[in-house]
Amino acid sequence: MYSRLYRRTTGKRIFSAVNITFLMILAMTMIIPFLNVLAVSFTTNLESYENTIKLFPREFSIIGYINLFRRVAIAGPLLNNTIVTVSGTLIHILLCSMAGFVLVRSRFPGKTLAVVLITVPMMIPFQMIIIPVFVTMRRFGLIDTLSSLILIDIVSTFSILLMKNYFESIPRSLEESAVIDGANEWIVFAKVYLPLAKPGIATIGIFQFVSRWNHFLPAVLFINSTDKYTLQIALKSLVVSSELTSTTQSVANNARMAGIVVSIIPLLLVYILAQKYFISGIMVGAVKE
Amino acid sequence: MKKKSPLTSQFSRNRLLYLMILPAAAYFITFSFFPLADGIKMSLQDFRFVGASSYIGLENYRTMFITPGFWRVFGNTLILGLSNVLLTAFVPMFIALSLNEVANRGFKRTFQSILYLPHILSWVVVGGLWVFILSPNGLVNAARVLFDQESIYFFVVEKYARGLMIGINLWKQAGYVCILFLAAISGINPEIYEAALIDGANSAQRAWYITVPELTGTLKVVMLLNVMGALRIFDQIYVLRNEVIAEKIDVLMYYVYIHGLEQFKIGYASAISVFIFLITLLVTLLVRRVTKYHV
Repeated sequence: MYSRLYRRTTGKRIFSAVNITFLMILAMTMIIPFLNVLAVSFTTNLESYENTIKLFPREFSIIGYINLFRRVAIAGPLLNNTIVTVSGTLIHILLCSMAGFVLVRSRFPGKTLAVVLITVPMMIPFQMIIIPVFVTMRRFGLIDTLSSLILIDIVSTFSILLMKNYFESIPRSLEESAVIDGANEWIVFAKVYLPLAKPGIATIGIFQFVSRWNHFLPAVLFINSTDKYTLQIALKSLVVSSELTSTTQSVANNARMAGIVVSIIPLLLVYILAQKYFISGIMVGAVKE
Repeated sequence: MKKKSPLTSQFSRNRLLYLMILPAAAYFITFSFFPLADGIKMSLQDFRFVGASSYIGLENYRTMFITPGFWRVFGNTLILGLSNVLLTAFVPMFIALSLNEVANRGFKRTFQSILYLPHILSWVVVGGLWVFILSPNGLVNAARVLFDQESIYFFVVEKYARGLMIGINLWKQAGYVCILFLAAISGINPEIYEAALIDGANSAQRAWYITVPELTGTLKVVMLLNVMGALRIFDQIYVLRNEVIAEKIDVLMYYVYIHGLEQFKIGYASAISVFIFLITLLVTLLVRRVTKYHV
């Protein structure tokens, strides 16, 4: 009905072409740096220092990756990072689901206090309390342990409220048969609510995975010994510091770029497999704050 | 079977609920509320890890106000923060409007996915990537050499420092903010556009008179998010700073970190943290007032 109004004129075609070109250039500023990094990671040691626009390796080589594991010994930090990420994410999901579930239960003494305890910390960002948090961790004797990294952010207001929203959408009638069978709150939570909140679990799980895999500030604050280094700390001295501070580079560019590639593979996998949860999570996050 | 009294049954039900919320409550008390109070207390002390810390009143705050280094990083934070707040709101909005004019759904979707990608990467990765690309024999300089320009080591030139920080931040965050705007655009009632079409409005007019006004709500949310993020900049600066450009880009949180956890002036660093916290509250309230943002 409106096709007459939408008819394409020369002006519209020019606008459309300019518009698409603009977006293509933007996309290129995203794609070319990654292609460059990927290409250099697969070059030989000598080729990785060449001063050319490199989007494909001239001579394909995996020596960069071999050096990343042999000389840079990335396996240790990679393992530490995996431990912190996987265990932290699983515990985070469990604890936040439990807290979110409690918040949807009908009135119980102290519920208002619980709501305050959970929502106010959103206004106290971690960055602003790093000094006292460090002091607290030190009092607990957790400095220089992987446990400190698992413990930080083990629950978050964002995840608890997101789970609460999911639980609220579950009809109360579904739990009736369980309650008649004499199920207690824990059974109702674990057998009725949790299985129905899979999209919510996926959303908080993915955001937690990404933020834990990328965690940097907590490791800078709490970790001292090299055998406890997590990925981002190891990566920083590999990809940034060797470039900016030392004059003689001990690690070739191909190994440095291989470090970047290896560190983003898990994120890329999660991103590709679970994109829809990213979008829904972003929306919830923005609305909440 | 004897029935339990309603009160006892209520209690045993609730006991499980209390147990289930206990970990979250304990965490927030130990790692949010207590540190906040502790930080205020330490800001009034000459703090020591060993032995008794003595109260010294507002001495730490006085030191803060008379230290030139503090005002320098405060200025840097304002300059970088304000640029981030504005650029990382309006540029993504412009991109979203531009993307909205594209009819092809596949293109839209692919573009959105690519643009969002840097947001899920850490600052170490994003920083390392740009340090490499802007290094003397990196991609950008290789392109400059093609045009007979001499090679520049961008990260050690003072005059580029702030621009680089702002630009790289925009590169990283644009896709995320863009998604917020696109979602808002898709929520606009199509009947408004149809009415405008019948009235003969062209696509630029439709974008300017319908889409942009409908996006002001989202714009406010984005600005508020940016303001809260602006005073917390840390990772980016920690990763990308070097002594040559430090004067131009060192920010408050970095200053807190260096004084508190490298030099162990815990009291002084706490005073600055409290100051940042108060400023954030103030600015947030101000922005809410100015934009009439209601939650």
